Amino acid sequence: MDNFGFLFAANAFVWGGIIYYVYTLKKRSRELEKDLELLKETLGKEPRK
Amino acid sequence: MNEETTEVSGRESEKESGEESFVLVWLTGIVFIAAMAAIFLFVPTEQTEGPVQRIMYIHIPSAWLSFFAFFIVFICSILFLWKKEREWDIYAHASAEIGVIFCSLVLITGPIWAKPIWGTWWVWDARLTSTLILWLIYVAYLMLRAQTDAGSMRARYSAVLGIVGFLNIPFIHFSVLWWRTFHPQPKVISSEGFGKGMETSMLATLGISLCAFTLLYFLLMGQRVRQEKLKDEIDQLKREHLYSS
Repeated sequence: MDNFGFLFAANAFVWGGIIYYVYTLKKRSRELEKDLELLKETLGKEPRK
Repeated sequence: MNEETTEVSGRESEKESGEESFVLVWLTGIVFIAAMAAIFLFVPTEQTEGPVQRIMYIHIPSAWLSFFAFFIVFICSILFLWKKEREWDIYAHASAEIGVIFCSLVLITGPIWAKPIWGTWWVWDARLTSTLILWLIYVAYLMLRAQTDAGSMRARYSAVLGIVGFLNIPFIHFSVLWWRTFHPQPKVISSEGFGKGMETSMLATLGISLCAFTLLYFLLMGQRVRQEKLKDEIDQLKREHLYSS
C-alpha cells in the first residue's frame, strides 16, 4: 500500500506549521525589542545592548 | 541594589540565557535530524499500513507535546491562583499557545493518517471528539486572553479555564479503553507494559522523535516567555512615564 502523498502532506503540515510559528515568534520578538529600545531612547534611558 | 547594578546583572542574566538558548537550538536541531533519519531511513516500513504509518512518528509526539504543554498550563494556573505572581500567568499563557499549535497539528495529521487507513477523514468517536473539545477549550482560553483587558481578573479567569481544560486529558487517554473506537488502543503505555505493543526499532524511533519535540517545546517556551516579559517591560515603562509626567 503506497500512500506517500498522505505521508508528504502530514509532514508538510507539521514542518510548515512549526517553521511558520518560529518565524512569527522571531518577528514579534524583534518588533518588541525595537519598541522597547525606542521607548527607552524616548524616555531618555540607556538603550538595550 | 541601585539602578546601575540592576541593569548590569540584567544584562549578565540575558547573556547567560542567550548562551543557554544557543545550546538548546543546536541540541534540538541535532535531535530533530536524528529523528528524521530514524523515521525515513532506519525504521522498517509497517507491513499492513505501508509508508503512511510513518505519520505516527510526528502525530504521537505532537499529541505528547500538546498534552505536556496543557499540563504546564494546569500547574502554572494552580500556582498563579495560589501565589498570585504574574510570572506563573506568563508561563501558563505561553504554554497554552504552544499547546494549541501542536493540538492543531494532531487534528490535522490524524485525519491525513486516517483517510487511507479507515477510508474516512473523520469519525465522531470518543478519542477524536474529546481531542477536538480539548482544542476548543484552549482556543477559548486564548480568545479570553485576547479579548479581555490585561490585569488580575483576566489572569484569574484564564487560570480557571486552564485548570478545567486539563481535566479533559485523562478522559482522552482512557476514551479508547472505555468505549469502542476507531482509534487504535495505546501501544506505548498499555496494560501489557511500557512499549510492549511495539517493535523495538519503532519504539526507539518514537522515543527520539518524542525527545526532539520535547526539546522544541522548551525552545519555544523560552522565546514566548521572553516575548511576554518584553511586553511587560514596555507596559511598565509606559506606566512609569505616564505617572511621572
